Amino acid sequence: MPTETLLSNDPVALIPESGMDAASRSWVDCFKASGNRYSECLARLHALLLRVAKHEATRRSGSLRVHGPEIEDIAQQAADDALMAIRAKVVTFRGESRFTTWAYRFVVFEVSTKIGRHFWRHPPIDMDQKTWDQLPDPLPLQPEHIAEFREVQIAVRRAIDEDLTEHQRRVFVAVALNEVPMDAFAREIGSNRNAVYKTLFDARRRIRASLAAAGHARPTTSVESA
Amino acid sequence: MKRLPKIDELIEADDIDAGCAAGFEVLHQYVETELAGADPARGLPGVAAHLRRCPACHQDYLGLLDAVRRFGDDS
Repeated sequence: MPTETLLSNDPVALIPESGMDAASRSWVDCFKASGNRYSECLARLHALLLRVAKHEATRRSGSLRVHGPEIEDIAQQAADDALMAIRAKVVTFRGESRFTTWAYRFVVFEVSTKIGRHFWRHPPIDMDQKTWDQLPDPLPLQPEHIAEFREVQIAVRRAIDEDLTEHQRRVFVAVALNEVPMDAFAREIGSNRNAVYKTLFDARRRIRASLAAAGHARPTTSVESA
Repeated sequence: MKRLPKIDELIEADDIDAGCAAGFEVLHQYVETELAGADPARGLPGVAAHLRRCPACHQDYLGLLDAVRRFGDDS
């Protein structure tokens, strides 16, 4: 995963970085203040982060059966930790976006990691079970493609069983097949989202290489908007 | 070659995928570019590729979009 792809090859497609809007400048100046003004700044930002956190925790709560006081608790912790991260990182803010957009990113991330803990209270599946039955039903395919589907399905299963490392297999089965939330899974194995995704990425590449070697090369995709 | 949507989605790995950490570093720019009506995938193709493949970061992206639309600067 080359980070150089982050660099814009089409700068006009990005928001210009020159200049900082007045509201963002006010936030940055506020963080440079001291005494009461600084304290008031932190309190105002924390209140805003808490509102965002409550909204985000509620937005994500449905599938995890998290309700009421738990949402309040998640939001409070997320806002607290996000404010700590922002205090540490504010010197890196260069006005590439509005300050609040930059700051909300931290609290959204904190909600994600904290709400993931709740997944394990009601896990919908046995993580060690390879839920092959959940692989797609070929019915939407035209009849002439069903045989191809079956062949590729068998080849994928073989690649997972024989070509992935134990760790890659565990990550792929949990996250890709069983759709365990990545933050929840990362917490379970004492890792982090970035490391889990890298393992998943490597597993996918290895499976694709195995398929290609077996004569079942799969198409690559073009980049589309998220 | 016929695409087999679900299987191909399971094993898709785009070489330009920026990854979680690098994507997080510019997610605010990605979101504001989109909210400004431009296509962020043009300037940040590695992030766009990542958001299509990483469910956790995709949820963060959706959450940040929603938060900015709903709360803005709150000033």
